[in-house]
Amino acid sequence: MKLKAALTLGVFGALTALVAASPRLDPPWQAMSERLGSTGVQSRVEWPRENPPRPLAARPVTFPPYDVRKLANGMQVVLVSQNEQPAISVRMLIRAGAVHDPKGKHGLAMMTATLLDQGAGTRTAAQIAEEIDFIGGVLGTGAGTDLSFVNAVVMKDGYEIALRLMSDIVMRPTFAPEEIERQRSQALSALKVSTEDPEAVADRIIDRLIYGFHPYGMPGGGTPESLAGLTRADFQDYHRRYFVPNNALLAVVGDIGAAEAMAGLEKYFGAWQPADVPGFSVTEPPDATRRVIVVDKPNAVQTEIRVGHIAIPRKHSDYEAIDQAVKILGGEGANRLQQVLRSQKQLTYGASADLDSYRLAGAVIAETDTQTANTAEALRVVVDEFTRLQRERVSGGELEGAQDYMVGHFPLTIEVPDQIATQVLNQLFYELPVEELPRFRERILKVTPDEIQRVARWFIRPSQLSIVLVGDADKFVADLKGVGFGSFERVPIEQVDLLSADFLKRRSGGR
Amino acid sequence: MRTFSALVVALVAAVVAVVYVPLQATVRPPKLQYQRLVLPNGMKVILHQDKSTPIAHVELWYHVGSKNERPGRTGFAHFFEHMMFKGSRNVEPEQHTSIIASVGGQANAYTNEDTTVFWQTIPAQYLPLVLWMEADRMASLRIDEKTFIAEREVVKEERRMRIENPPYGLLNELITSHAFDVHPYKHPVIGSMTDLNAATIDDVRDFYKTFYVPENATLLVVGDFEVDTVTQLVHQYFARVPKAANPVPRDIPQEPKHTKEKRVTLEQPWPLPAVVVTYHVPYNGHPDSYPMFVMSKTLSDGQTSRIYQRLVYQSGLALTAFGSSSFLEQPGIFSAVALVNPGQSPDAVEKALIGEFEKLKTQGITERELQRAKNQFSRDYIVSRLSIKEKASQLGHAEVIQKDMASADGEYDTFMKVSLEDVKRVAQQYFVPEGRMVMRIMPRGGVEK
Repeated sequence: MKLKAALTLGVFGALTALVAASPRLDPPWQAMSERLGSTGVQSRVEWPRENPPRPLAARPVTFPPYDVRKLANGMQVVLVSQNEQPAISVRMLIRAGAVHDPKGKHGLAMMTATLLDQGAGTRTAAQIAEEIDFIGGVLGTGAGTDLSFVNAVVMKDGYEIALRLMSDIVMRPTFAPEEIERQRSQALSALKVSTEDPEAVADRIIDRLIYGFHPYGMPGGGTPESLAGLTRADFQDYHRRYFVPNNALLAVVGDIGAAEAMAGLEKYFGAWQPADVPGFSVTEPPDATRRVIVVDKPNAVQTEIRVGHIAIPRKHSDYEAIDQAVKILGGEGANRLQQVLRSQKQLTYGASADLDSYRLAGAVIAETDTQTANTAEALRVVVDEFTRLQRERVSGGELEGAQDYMVGHFPLTIEVPDQIATQVLNQLFYELPVEELPRFRERILKVTPDEIQRVARWFIRPSQLSIVLVGDADKFVADLKGVGFGSFERVPIEQVDLLSADFLKRRSGGR
Repeated sequence: MRTFSALVVALVAAVVAVVYVPLQATVRPPKLQYQRLVLPNGMKVILHQDKSTPIAHVELWYHVGSKNERPGRTGFAHFFEHMMFKGSRNVEPEQHTSIIASVGGQANAYTNEDTTVFWQTIPAQYLPLVLWMEADRMASLRIDEKTFIAEREVVKEERRMRIENPPYGLLNELITSHAFDVHPYKHPVIGSMTDLNAATIDDVRDFYKTFYVPENATLLVVGDFEVDTVTQLVHQYFARVPKAANPVPRDIPQEPKHTKEKRVTLEQPWPLPAVVVTYHVPYNGHPDSYPMFVMSKTLSDGQTSRIYQRLVYQSGLALTAFGSSSFLEQPGIFSAVALVNPGQSPDAVEKALIGEFEKLKTQGITERELQRAKNQFSRDYIVSRLSIKEKASQLGHAEVIQKDMASADGEYDTFMKVSLEDVKRVAQQYFVPEGRMVMRIMPRGGVEK
């Protein structure tokens, strides 16, 4: 048997980094052998020098069929039918997440999502668990920045049970006081563990630096004080406001036909009453400003490094070009950061940059980790790569390499039905046209080096970077001046307060 | 009172059972079809056709993992995995993944206790390229001192990142190092810093000649292809790789029978105390491993599971608690782990964890728990065969670890036949105090209240 559960302790078996970056390659079937040396080749036979073989004939790639529908109450539905394996997954997204946490109530979206399956309709938490576990199903709930979700995976004869449980969970959660207390105490313990995890701390601080006091900068997992203050009424209010069908998307994926899928949805979600979703206004995130926060964790053997600044929301006319620029900096199929930090300098196991684009705003964030002594050097390399991307025109070859990966990779992203549903759900969630999905090739290839240069000039700001270093400060801060970062703020890890302007817990009483 | 509450539970269960689905799993996952061939040089080849998307997945399993390492050279199998990306006769250093990426594919590798696996997923038309590249590095790897020294620094960063820096990163290593006395499963796959530093270029050459040979390799090709075409390509590129000069060594020191409970207390700079209980269990594929797996499910799969209910949900003793059996080629351990919540005592957590194993011995599990475990197994079985990568992984495991291709499907039926008596008997045989290790890892500087 080889199953996920059996591999719990196996995650320590290590992986090499996903895609090592490289300058543009000639197509692999072109002659390579002339350029090759043969230093150190350990050959058991006279192994021939030869050119790579040519590819076979390619089959056309088309976006697989799917259906988008809507219930009368406004719930959007995505159907992807595929019967290779007798399983069905049902995924619901609600357009509400940590971004909707009211001031001082950080963690409300996360806790609400956690409590959904801890009692709903006529069932207790234990009864819900018993019902889904017994049929070999899985039920999951959670919240992210912009959304909350409820997922179920069942075997094909479990569709009705999945829908019955999910409809209870999203429409009629109990929020029983004893379950609230139980989950509150678990959330507090989890928070305690994560405040000592350098990776988690670095991620939270870079978000706060970039987004400031915009909701995206706030701790979605809550703070000890905010979690302690959440009441049953808070959960009920939040649920009543946002968990309505016209604010929901649902996908049914797998071994089931459209008629049966829709009949089930009508039966279990047809009577869900729509309601107006209250609008909300937020202040704009601040302009990018250079600021360096050093979080001191004595005895840490590595420093977690984050470097970034504000970018664009997902729905933006320059999204495709900016996405490709960031991929060249640190994404799959390209990744200059990995090239320099790992392949050339052996400073890290992995380095990457991501374009995080949400509904209201977004950021470009580079991340890596390195042993303490190399902190300043690695930081300098990361910052230099932002500068290089902004100043130097990307070569046609390098861009072509990144685009070859993206175009060639497309069929790998539509293999299993859940991947297909994810792509459709994403388009719908961000209110982008689903008709774009099959046009991936044109979308990717229309970006030129000129385009990359144009967008890099306005959106990459090397002199206004937010920087977070979490590690053993005494052992590296003296080096920072030498790489141009002599000015920084230092915060002991146990003193970190994400709600404070200077990230420091106030001594007296506090919040 | 006792009887009364037990009766209520039984009644609820009975009522619930009527309302729910039938007790027998009705959905039988489809069988994996495959073809198996062996090349004259001893390399095994397994092909599985799946034409649903025009992509293919190629995996090359070398039957060597951390358990094959010599004393003083822990971490070597994994380190060598990195060296396989350093170029061969016809592929330049660091170009393997780049070439795969340039056609839209992904390439990576992993090492565990028993195997080292290299994989790539690609648009199907590039199958010739991938097979050619895998054969190239099997036959003609470039090994030079400079890349070797440089790559060692990357592996050290990997150890720092995965193991040494995150809270609880060292947990698994601490567990195995105390649970085993002799067997190399004792050592972490990533190895120790000392041993990584001690490795030499000659070790690299030896390892390559000893283990990276066709008779120690299994090639899996899964995806959209014609069997004849791929068979011809496999012969063309791999049949010319010569047999090894010597047989692959298989002498692994075996763990002696433990005769006394082992108790260990340690300190680490972690936020919450951890309590660990382990027992020695049979190898993957042993008849007793199936009832053992049922108990893994009953103890720790889902919110209904006994460990979650007892330690997390009902008592709040633990922030998280879970238990699972290792499924390795040779006998391993069942380990249960709990992180003790603030204000709760490690004594109570230890008692609760051991209590759950004792309960399995005295009372076994219920008919309903057995059926639930089987239904969960069916689900895992189905959802771990969705992608071509997952299918290759299942097939590779059956061939290399189970040494029985028929187990890729046959074990579904074996599992469905496990009985209540099997479970109780296996619990009584393996969950014995003399085979137990109890470990407590306390926060350095004391527990915060």
